Amino acid sequence: MLSRIAQELFWLGRNIARAEHTARMLDGVFQASLQSNSDGFGSGSVQLGWRSILAIMGADAGGDVEREEVMRRMTIDRHEPASVISCVARARESARTVRDVISAEMWEALNTTNLRLADPAVEHNLSELGPYLFFQLVKERSALFWGLNSRTMLRDEARAFLVAGGRFESADMVLRMLRVTLPAPGQEFTDAESRATGLLDGQAQALLQAVGGFQAFRRAVPSPPQAGPVARFLLYERSYPDSVAASVDAVQQALTDADRDPRRSDPVLRLARLGADLEFRGRVAIDRASISETCELVQRELMLVDADIATRYFVGSTMPAGTVHA
Amino acid sequence: MHHGALPAPPSIPTTSDSGYQPPTGGALDEIFAADGAPRDHARRLASELAALGPEALVDAGQRRDAIFVQQGITFDATGKDGPVRDRPFPLDLVPRILTSDDWSHLEAGLRQRIVALNRFIDDVYHEREIIRAGIVPWQLVVSRSHFARAAAGVRPPGGVYCHVSGCDLVRDGDGTWRVLEDNVRTPSGISYVLENRVAMTRLLPQLFQHYRVRPVDHYPQLLAAALRSVAPSSEEEATVVVWTPGSLNSAYFEHAFLARQMGVELVEASDLVVRDDVLYMRTTDGLRRVHAVYRRLDDDFVDPLEFRPDSLLGVPGLVRAYRAGNVAIANALGTGVADDKAIYHYVPDMIRFYLSEEPILANVQTYLMSDPQLRDMALGRKHELVFKPTNESGGKGVCIGPRSTTAELERVEAVIRSNPDEWIAQELVNLSTVPTAGPDGRLSPRHVDLRPFAVFGENLQIIPGGLTRVAMVEGSMIVNSSQGGGSKDTWVLERSASTASDAEVEGQRLPAPPMPQLRYGSEWHNQQQQQQQVAAVTPPSAAAAATGDEAR
Repeated sequence: MLSRIAQELFWLGRNIARAEHTARMLDGVFQASLQSNSDGFGSGSVQLGWRSILAIMGADAGGDVEREEVMRRMTIDRHEPASVISCVARARESARTVRDVISAEMWEALNTTNLRLADPAVEHNLSELGPYLFFQLVKERSALFWGLNSRTMLRDEARAFLVAGGRFESADMVLRMLRVTLPAPGQEFTDAESRATGLLDGQAQALLQAVGGFQAFRRAVPSPPQAGPVARFLLYERSYPDSVAASVDAVQQALTDADRDPRRSDPVLRLARLGADLEFRGRVAIDRASISETCELVQRELMLVDADIATRYFVGSTMPAGTVHA
Repeated sequence: MHHGALPAPPSIPTTSDSGYQPPTGGALDEIFAADGAPRDHARRLASELAALGPEALVDAGQRRDAIFVQQGITFDATGKDGPVRDRPFPLDLVPRILTSDDWSHLEAGLRQRIVALNRFIDDVYHEREIIRAGIVPWQLVVSRSHFARAAAGVRPPGGVYCHVSGCDLVRDGDGTWRVLEDNVRTPSGISYVLENRVAMTRLLPQLFQHYRVRPVDHYPQLLAAALRSVAPSSEEEATVVVWTPGSLNSAYFEHAFLARQMGVELVEASDLVVRDDVLYMRTTDGLRRVHAVYRRLDDDFVDPLEFRPDSLLGVPGLVRAYRAGNVAIANALGTGVADDKAIYHYVPDMIRFYLSEEPILANVQTYLMSDPQLRDMALGRKHELVFKPTNESGGKGVCIGPRSTTAELERVEAVIRSNPDEWIAQELVNLSTVPTAGPDGRLSPRHVDLRPFAVFGENLQIIPGGLTRVAMVEGSMIVNSSQGGGSKDTWVLERSASTASDAEVEGQRLPAPPMPQLRYGSEWHNQQQQQQQVAAVTPPSAAAAATGDEAR
């Protein structure tokens, strides 16, 4: 298929997944922020902060960080490229470009999502009724898009690039959230270590709620939702569909399907190696230093995969296939 | 500012602005003082409510019902025309606020009370010291329908019997908190406490912005930890289950909610089997050992071999497994003896006897109908008192003197005289009121009670707040949800020390590690990204280590 089309599909998937993850993350943080932070299991249950949200999205926090300001900026601000509405708008533009390739129902679902978010009532409702309806709309419309994708789209190369993009972005977003939520030792404020541990446990739980994985965690893992077990779960638990390992597997599978010669494909090989590496790492005990280190290394590796994908599929192979960059 | 409330806004709405009529007849309104001004801790709430207005409350109520029906947060009630199925749970949108001082007092009182009740249960099935000391008559104890001979001589791990309890509290006209009932069998309602809070943060987030409300959502973890701590499993991870009578039970939503939140199996009797005094559940992998059961049905039904032989809900042999120490049951068998309105009368004495402390929370004045003199006195004042059967729950059979006809009272009198051991009389408590939104969104006072929930495992923990039940009919004091009562989200405010502003809280947070900026498509987003791209093509050695290059 055309490189240009493959690239549009890849980014279509990424933007939809990013919109959904952003909405889930904001929803979790907003709900937790309405309540106090002194209680909880263990020594303290706290939420991710609003500054953390900006950090996760790689945005500059600048001076004071106000809840209302971050909320508006990350949901409906069209000048903020990381906002939900900007992600959906970009996805819609990609879909318009490739509307002959995706199914008509998918195009219609996404176009409708974009129209609904453009409704002036959305901004009014967000300030007057609270953000719940907005997040619910984004989550439902995203689920509809992916549901129609698996129901109505031919399982061809085009779909493979779309899915690869969606799952790639899922892995990236979960890693970003993990890194901000559970930073390496030595980076926390100078209070007693026990307090920091309680803080991290609370943040880990907030993260789990935000990504919608709390129930899955409770069913899969017997231990309480503390930082270590939550990080393991979100990184390595292949049976949880939004874990980094599951997403890496899914991207690899999609690219294997799409590639004419996957055994000589840099991104496929790199993803296979990364998947195996995650499996090995999942078998050993985890501490905070290793969580943080693993997240950072996986994130770097995914950046290499991203570059490999662009090189192999999108820019028209300027380099001979099989070149090792790393 | 005390009570965890931030300074009040310049203009404070009083009741005269909204047409709110504080209650008459001596009841205390928890939000508005008698002069119509909001109480200190409620000023911000009152002004937010005034700013919202009735239309916005009606609108939020419609969204609430839609969300609850969609999520299946419903329950079944008995209406005028027979049973009503799948009603959206009636959450009133005006929260109830408890100050941190109120809560400290309640928490200390409940802690004392539950510890004493637990000691009492242990005592009556073992040494019977309180009986021998002449404080509680043995005849009364053994005649209670929930006294379980099967529990005699069995001491569960840690000596804990009431792992889950929910005492009903009311607030008198002078503001005094009193205990109305002790629920230590299978108190229900905690799922609504959690769901109410989630719904309120979604529907009316603006009400929260001036308060720091203590969260409630850690309850399932506390319960799971308590159950695992009492489970008799030394080597393996304890398997815990929630046992429901079945999907037709009116509290099935709660059973499923707790199982889901704890990540454990929700079982029915047909899933369980006892072999050689060990409890198992039937799984696709064959039988799997169960170490602890959180059961949501009464003793009578748990084992047809020991209790009611006609019970189809029970598991034959379960009591033998329990007595053999192979399975923990929560609440333990026989706890119902402390969940009896005649025994309730003696709880203050239990506190003095077991703990050598004075009770922090008072009982409502109660008269045992088994005493002939008190019986004659109470029946002589039958138009003023409340009469209750001792072993019922959910408000069944309760007769409120001032609100009953003479004919009704005479019927009750005849029943009491024929079976006095099964009845008590109580002084009428003028329950406190909280503003409550009517169908038109206007606020009017409605009577409330409070059921805080405690979890007793390795230690005793009480969830801040609890289920506030509200009588939806003007003047009514019947708050039971099975009889058309509603509920309110109950806020316990944090102590003032932690009313830090958002900015202060932000300052305490962990600094985020440097993060690669987001990409937005084919082009790198800015120059910084280009640098990162360069870095990506020639990665630091750490990246190679991640993938094991150095080892190969």
